[in-house]
Amino acid sequence: MSAGTRARLKELIIEHLKLDGMTPDMIEDDAPLFGEGLGLDSVDALEMVVALQKEWGIRIEGADATRETFFSVATLADMVERRRGSA
Amino acid sequence: MTRPPVPLVVTGLGVVCAEGAGREAAAAALARGEAPLAEVDRSGGYHLADGARFAALAAHHGTARWVPPMAARRMCPSSRMAVAAARMAVEEAGLEPGSPELDGAAVVVATAYGSAQVTEQLLHQILLESPETVSPALFTESVANAPAAQVALVCRARGANITVTQRQAGPPIALGLAMTELAAGRCRRVIVGAVDEVNPLLHAVLDRFRALARSTGDAPELARPFDRRRDGFVAGEGATLLVLEGADEAHARGAKALARLELTASAFDPSAPRAGWGRDPVSLAGALRRRLERAGIALDSFGAVVTGTCGSPSGDRLEALLLRSLWGEARLPPLLAPKAVLGENGAALLAAAVLAVEGAAFGSPVGFAQPDPELGVEPHGGGPTSSAPRVLVSSPAVGGAASWAVLGRP
Amino acid sequence: MTGPRVVVTGLGAVTPFGWGMLPLRAGLRMGVTALAPTRQLDTSRHRTRIAGEVPPAPPRAGAGVAGWPHLSRAEQFAIAAAREACGQAELDPAAGEVAVLFGGSTGGMLECEHYVARLLAVEPGRPRLAMVASQQISSPGDAVARALGARGPVATVSSACASGGLALGAALDAIRSGEVTAALAGGADELCHLTYAGFNSLRSVDERPCRPFRADRAGLSIGEGAGVLVLEALERAVARGAQPLAELLGWGASCDAHHMTAPHPEGIGAAAAISAALADAGLEPDAVAFVNAHGTGTPHNDSAEARALTSVFGGRSGPLPVTATKAAVGHLLGSSGAIEAVATVLALLDGAVQPTPGEEPADPDLGVDLVVGHPRPLAGSGVGLSTSFAFGGANAALVLASWGERP
Repeated sequence: MSAGTRARLKELIIEHLKLDGMTPDMIEDDAPLFGEGLGLDSVDALEMVVALQKEWGIRIEGADATRETFFSVATLADMVERRRGSA
Repeated sequence: MTRPPVPLVVTGLGVVCAEGAGREAAAAALARGEAPLAEVDRSGGYHLADGARFAALAAHHGTARWVPPMAARRMCPSSRMAVAAARMAVEEAGLEPGSPELDGAAVVVATAYGSAQVTEQLLHQILLESPETVSPALFTESVANAPAAQVALVCRARGANITVTQRQAGPPIALGLAMTELAAGRCRRVIVGAVDEVNPLLHAVLDRFRALARSTGDAPELARPFDRRRDGFVAGEGATLLVLEGADEAHARGAKALARLELTASAFDPSAPRAGWGRDPVSLAGALRRRLERAGIALDSFGAVVTGTCGSPSGDRLEALLLRSLWGEARLPPLLAPKAVLGENGAALLAAAVLAVEGAAFGSPVGFAQPDPELGVEPHGGGPTSSAPRVLVSSPAVGGAASWAVLGRP
Repeated sequence: MTGPRVVVTGLGAVTPFGWGMLPLRAGLRMGVTALAPTRQLDTSRHRTRIAGEVPPAPPRAGAGVAGWPHLSRAEQFAIAAAREACGQAELDPAAGEVAVLFGGSTGGMLECEHYVARLLAVEPGRPRLAMVASQQISSPGDAVARALGARGPVATVSSACASGGLALGAALDAIRSGEVTAALAGGADELCHLTYAGFNSLRSVDERPCRPFRADRAGLSIGEGAGVLVLEALERAVARGAQPLAELLGWGASCDAHHMTAPHPEGIGAAAAISAALADAGLEPDAVAFVNAHGTGTPHNDSAEARALTSVFGGRSGPLPVTATKAAVGHLLGSSGAIEAVATVLALLDGAVQPTPGEEPADPDLGVDLVVGHPRPLAGSGVGLSTSFAFGGANAALVLASWGERP
């Protein structure tokens, strides 16, 4: 479980979702991203889909596009590494 | 539009313009006849080397007081400026977002160019990367009605939500639609106004149409309204939103009326090419004259005309001849040219309209020096305008549409 | 709102079924879809491939129109539809103050995309200003006014998917108030990469032709085209011997003020617009015979719309047949409200609600009586409701009645 993936994800979240004034250390690995927690919404999730494709070439479809996968930075990082591992 | 059965009044005014955020900023610039111009980013490579460089930019002004950061992150510049101006207007009117007074309010916003900046970014993504890299958040802000939708969200206004895209003629048409909502009893108040943004691509394309003022030798880029040396407008951005409601409603709330909205009208000149100005001012003047006569509004009741004049060779000509045709042999009242100060955008027109009714001072636009003898008119040279009770707002547009509004003292 | 009665005296359309009302009427009656892999728009780099694409214009489409080859597709669609409508109504917009009130989303965006591509040197060829001269959303409406010589109020509204409905409502108001006695009301939009890619980025587009109200619906299909209705004060129509086709009884509008892309899940704003339209028409829910739904085929929209219909009409006795034109021609964005008003009038003229393309019935959980398979004859009153619910939460609803059927 690479700390590098989590760190990069936090940077992408801040950059793509325009969370001005936030720094990566303000986002906890296991905190919920959507609803409560960071308070992101469905459009933010779709932004992240584009960001993941641009950053790692990962196409998110179907089984990976779930609430569970997108729940937190930790779950996202797991999915990213799983997908990159099988690339 | 015929006259409404109940008097309609403006109870709040919010403005974001090149001078700053707030109605005081707009008033200060209009009194001086000048507002700060900024250099447009030309790094995108679309600008002509010898083309226009400046615009009356406004989106950089701080609006955090009215638009919280977590909401602002999603908004294009137009949405942000519109929401800020709407909140200022609502505050001045003594209203609260989420209150019953605003719940059924309608929102009507005019924009000429829509979300130009977001559109430019999306086109970059599609053309330079691929359609699959398009940002969903940007796309949701690319629709012309994004500002009106954001205003409704923030103000929690659930009445009709209408965005007018009719170029320079938009603002009075928006006022007309707002009047209809109120006259029909479909809502008790309307948040109505105009917003526009300028971005490098739009600026470059306008310049390629030779629409923009250019600097020549020692003469800087300036909008020169009705001037013999005029050579184009200065692109501008900003937002003006008003709260409009029935006079009885305002009175019951103890709200102060800033101005009365008495009438709007519009017409079309089919001689206009799709990206140019029409050549039939007489028929436009005739349409307006008939409306004013039907409403029993005499020309000598106008203390000023807030014109859409912006320094365009053909546009100023059309407007001057339209007004002269309307007034005939009678003497024209003072002609105000807010777009020559705050840039070509609808917000400048609407802000000036309310300020003029309130008796604000309008200085001579800095770009004006010598009247064009063919037109025989000039912009008001500073000092008080007449004490007559009404103001005519005149806004002909590229492409052929034209619209007007009559505002009066409350 | 009181005032003169307002009737429809002319209809015109350009749709993926073809140029003119004939192919549209036939296609809708047969319940077939015009959604297909695109032939003119290059969708090879997009996530999906299909759309409702207008076929190439017939040879004489632009006859007598100055500068026709340089106009944007949307302007061409608009002018053709407007000429057809005026032809049927035998109305000359140049004689008298006729308004042109349009709804639209794209303007000439496709041509603008090519212009910008040339500016950025990703496409060969010199960027020519003529390519971007029609970019403005107001261009199709202006083009109609210019081509037909109209001198009355001309305005385009652009409130996403509600634009067409709002334009028709504004026209109704303008005639009732006496501002004008006749109006060309409608809209035109064209396929372009911006909207095609944009809706795909939201994962709102179905790879297959959209299936409104079906259990396995997976998104919308984008379309292009134009719809124009000639609206006029009844007295004026009668005086000049014009034949009313239908009556526009009322309209309503609202805003969800809920979210920038998602509709309110309970359809509260949508229900409010529908109720306002019925009130404006002076009708109770029972008086409506059918609904031409917004019906995009997205999971959220159709659920919210079903809830809205239930909340307004749930208490009535008897079925409320629903049809979704977007399954036939696609989602025409800003002009969808206009083309769907045309489809609603066609149903009234035919005395039958058109079937929604596709064989499956509606998702039983939605409680929607979707017309499928063949046209369903209108039982009782000839009153139709047309709904449009937009991105950003703007909602519009129109109430149209068969001519002579005023309940």
